Amino acid sequence: MPAAVKRGALGSGRPVAAAFIFFALVCGAALSLATGGRSDVGLGTLWALIAGQGDEIARLPMATMLDLRLPRAAVAALLGVNLSLAGLILQAVTRNPLASPGILGINQGAALGLVAALAFPGAAGLALDGMAIAGALGAGAVTFAIAGGFSGRIDPVRMVLGGVAVGAFAYGAVRFAYTLEDELARSIVRWTVGDIGDMRWSDARPLALWSLGGGVMTFLLAHRLNMMSLGEVASRGLGADPRWTLLLGAVVATALAGVSVTVAGPIAFVGLVVPHVARALFGGDHRVLVPVSAGLGAALMLCADGLSKLLAAPAEVPVGLVAALIGAPYFLYLTMFSEALE
Amino acid sequence: MNVARVMTVSGALATGLVLASVWSISTGAVSVPWAVIANTLFDLEGPKQDFIVMKSRLPRTVLAVLTGGALALSGAIIQALLRNALASPKVIGINSGAALAVCLAVMAGAGAAWLPLYAFAGGVVAAFIVWLGSLRRRASPARLALIGIAVGFLCDTGVDYILVTAPTYQFSAPLVWMTGSLWSRGWTDVNAVAPLLLPLGALALLISYRLDLIRLGDSPARGLGVNVPLERPLLLLLATALAAVSVAAVGALGFVGLMAPHIARQLVGGDHRGLLPVAMLTGMLLVVLADAAGRALAPPIEVSAGILTALFGAPFFIFILLTNRRGDT
Amino acid sequence: MTPTRRTTLAAMVAALVMGTTALAGEITHDLGTTDVPDAPERVVVLEFSFIDALVSVGMAPVGIADDNKAERVMEVYGNVLGEDWTSVGTRKTPSLEVIASLQPDLIIADTTRHTDAYDTLSQIAPTIVLDSLGGDYHDSVAQMAVIGEAIGKPDAMTARIADHKTLMADYVAQIAPKVKDVAGQFGVTNATGLYLHSPTSYNGSLLEMFGFSSNMTPGEGGVYETNYVQTTLEQLSELDPDLLILGEYTDPSATDNWAGEPLWQALSAVKSGEVHYVTANNWSRLRGMVAAELTAADLLKIVDRDASGS
Repeated sequence: MPAAVKRGALGSGRPVAAAFIFFALVCGAALSLATGGRSDVGLGTLWALIAGQGDEIARLPMATMLDLRLPRAAVAALLGVNLSLAGLILQAVTRNPLASPGILGINQGAALGLVAALAFPGAAGLALDGMAIAGALGAGAVTFAIAGGFSGRIDPVRMVLGGVAVGAFAYGAVRFAYTLEDELARSIVRWTVGDIGDMRWSDARPLALWSLGGGVMTFLLAHRLNMMSLGEVASRGLGADPRWTLLLGAVVATALAGVSVTVAGPIAFVGLVVPHVARALFGGDHRVLVPVSAGLGAALMLCADGLSKLLAAPAEVPVGLVAALIGAPYFLYLTMFSEALE
Repeated sequence: MNVARVMTVSGALATGLVLASVWSISTGAVSVPWAVIANTLFDLEGPKQDFIVMKSRLPRTVLAVLTGGALALSGAIIQALLRNALASPKVIGINSGAALAVCLAVMAGAGAAWLPLYAFAGGVVAAFIVWLGSLRRRASPARLALIGIAVGFLCDTGVDYILVTAPTYQFSAPLVWMTGSLWSRGWTDVNAVAPLLLPLGALALLISYRLDLIRLGDSPARGLGVNVPLERPLLLLLATALAAVSVAAVGALGFVGLMAPHIARQLVGGDHRGLLPVAMLTGMLLVVLADAAGRALAPPIEVSAGILTALFGAPFFIFILLTNRRGDT
Repeated sequence: MTPTRRTTLAAMVAALVMGTTALAGEITHDLGTTDVPDAPERVVVLEFSFIDALVSVGMAPVGIADDNKAERVMEVYGNVLGEDWTSVGTRKTPSLEVIASLQPDLIIADTTRHTDAYDTLSQIAPTIVLDSLGGDYHDSVAQMAVIGEAIGKPDAMTARIADHKTLMADYVAQIAPKVKDVAGQFGVTNATGLYLHSPTSYNGSLLEMFGFSSNMTPGEGGVYETNYVQTTLEQLSELDPDLLILGEYTDPSATDNWAGEPLWQALSAVKSGEVHYVTANNWSRLRGMVAAELTAADLLKIVDRDASGS
């Protein structure tokens, strides 16, 4: 493992970093907001809105932009933030570049939580969300335990294999329930792949709270995350008990991922890809990586959202699938070429 | 290797297998008493159930035995090659590669009869890509496993994309198969896989001692006369073939290739000359039980064998992991 | 109708014509030709449209794949089916053993779902396989004729089909003038979303027959060739049909959640009060002559209600 926090390609020039992320966000937002079912709503509408000429836009394009596209873009961006932060934390505390929420069985655990909740008739709203998050936490905890997390040392291969096992169990349980009662499939919203087709502002608001809280927590953890990357001996020497960092980080990451699954279903690979790109460009200092990953994650999800509406137009491809189409080849590339795995 | 122990355990497993098979033939939406089974099998006097016993459950049980054994052998070989008791055929991407090949074939309009062939090809291609990827830096077993999982994810994503963008009704049948199910399998399927699995399985048993040598490590193995760069890919190909043919017949039965060798290791230790036959018997038992239980749970609904192997295999595996901290043997 | 379906349809009609002059009891279907007994008495059907076919000539199957939910078929076909039939499980994976234990002399299966099981089914009883799930309305009527041959009641079926066609023509005559230039659309909703049925689907082709035009124009190989298309509110507002018919599988459904929104209220169909709710099961799952006649009656009520201005 690197003995010191690496400097990235762009150095630590703050203005450059900010500019790059801003540019990525703008492109992503434009792509997401300019595409969609109605052909009369596009960049022109957006520009008019920004330029304060709202009165000149017809009512329906205005409603489309305000009620449908903006909240959808907001949700996409916030999901990007959550998942990237979760991935960043997991990769730091497990010292494993392959760690991410999708691989740890968290997504499938949340789906199982949802199914369990639906088995009790009358469950809706908070109870449903709560069960999904509980499922995510449960699955994450088991994977964590398998990987050795509770004794402070994580074995990367055991973690990935354990995550696959936990995910397979949860997925098997969901399919079992579906075999016995096929009406369930009509009520389980988005349990196979992430989809943000029907988002409104009411979905974006709770997500924003989690993103904010999660972001703050991660930033506070940043110093400790830096120390973890120095290796266990070094970080103990510096006085920080890596086990607490590991536990705390894992809980925050799982909660962020669990909330994301509840809102949009499982979206894989964002948490994997974004921290890597961030690290490659800006180095290994987590105080910089936290905002950078958040920004890049938002940008990636916005682009994915835009692509989801363009790939198979006029139909829409679920955004989780687009993210996977981008991330899975990158994951393969990582496993083949990453230096850090040995 | 304690020969007496291996023989005892094998005997016990074989007996268990026979009992499980009889249960498998008697259980389901229509319950068939043992007397009727005997009448039908041995053409005795008395009531018979010709279709259910001879044409539905018997071939299903035979197929379960064949594929269970093949998957277990495949898993044992892969675990030895990767020097990791947590490895399995899934880890070299076979299941997902087979599923992707089937989806592509359905999209291209292939007839149903050809799908097992495409599944086989897909599984082999996926494993081949994994092997190629590992060549690049003379990869460690850990990296091989991770590459395999990555290839699996990539194929899974491809399958998801096809399922989302193509007319859904085309995929109804392949979807059932892909989840690991012996529904509607008959003698045609048995006749298709037996000529492949029986010789491959026998071969695996015969060369089991090579695995012990390879497990010692590359240098010691070379010192003992094992041509590691040649034998490792050949053994991998053998494991792939065993798993891919099974997947082509019954779809992805998760965890059999993972659980069976591990259970066997607990029973008779790590010497492969004893481990492989015991793992094989264990795998056979597991799949027969999974198929039978799937029919016994909520007739006339059949729960796929694949769902049951995941439901019981995963927690069992997790329990073993939690109580046995060391990952390798 | 896609070219392949047209060809299949033509082949079936040709086979039927030839069949009546050649060996009786040899039926041509999607997977080849099967020798069927002259007058089967114990028939097992593995899709709902096949129940429809048997029931319309007064015959009850002995085994039905009803998804373990008898209510899905009893409501419409109950008076002919009676209580003497056995459920063989789900349409997706029916229990071959229960089918065998019923000792049928004919099995009617669906191309999409049961092609894999054809060999095994054939060992139980002569099996014919027809494209119920994928076909449109016209395919479904053609299949009725094949089934009539197979169950040994070709004349009764021919008469029934003729009656059906007359009845439907009558409905068309009443409905078509009132819906000239009206773009109609059928869709089903559940908690996850809205699925519109394209013009190539069963209900799409039915609406087309009744004189509705469609805003879903299937391009060459485009996604609107798919039978069921998941549609967001934005996409729906772009399509903007004049008349919207919805079958809801859950309560509340996705469209209920859209009720108060500006885009929903701006839909032509909503503004003119032309959103109508029908029984999803009858319109979407059942398919067949009896189901089509029910659908037509529903449609006439809808159209008449508008005409009388209520």
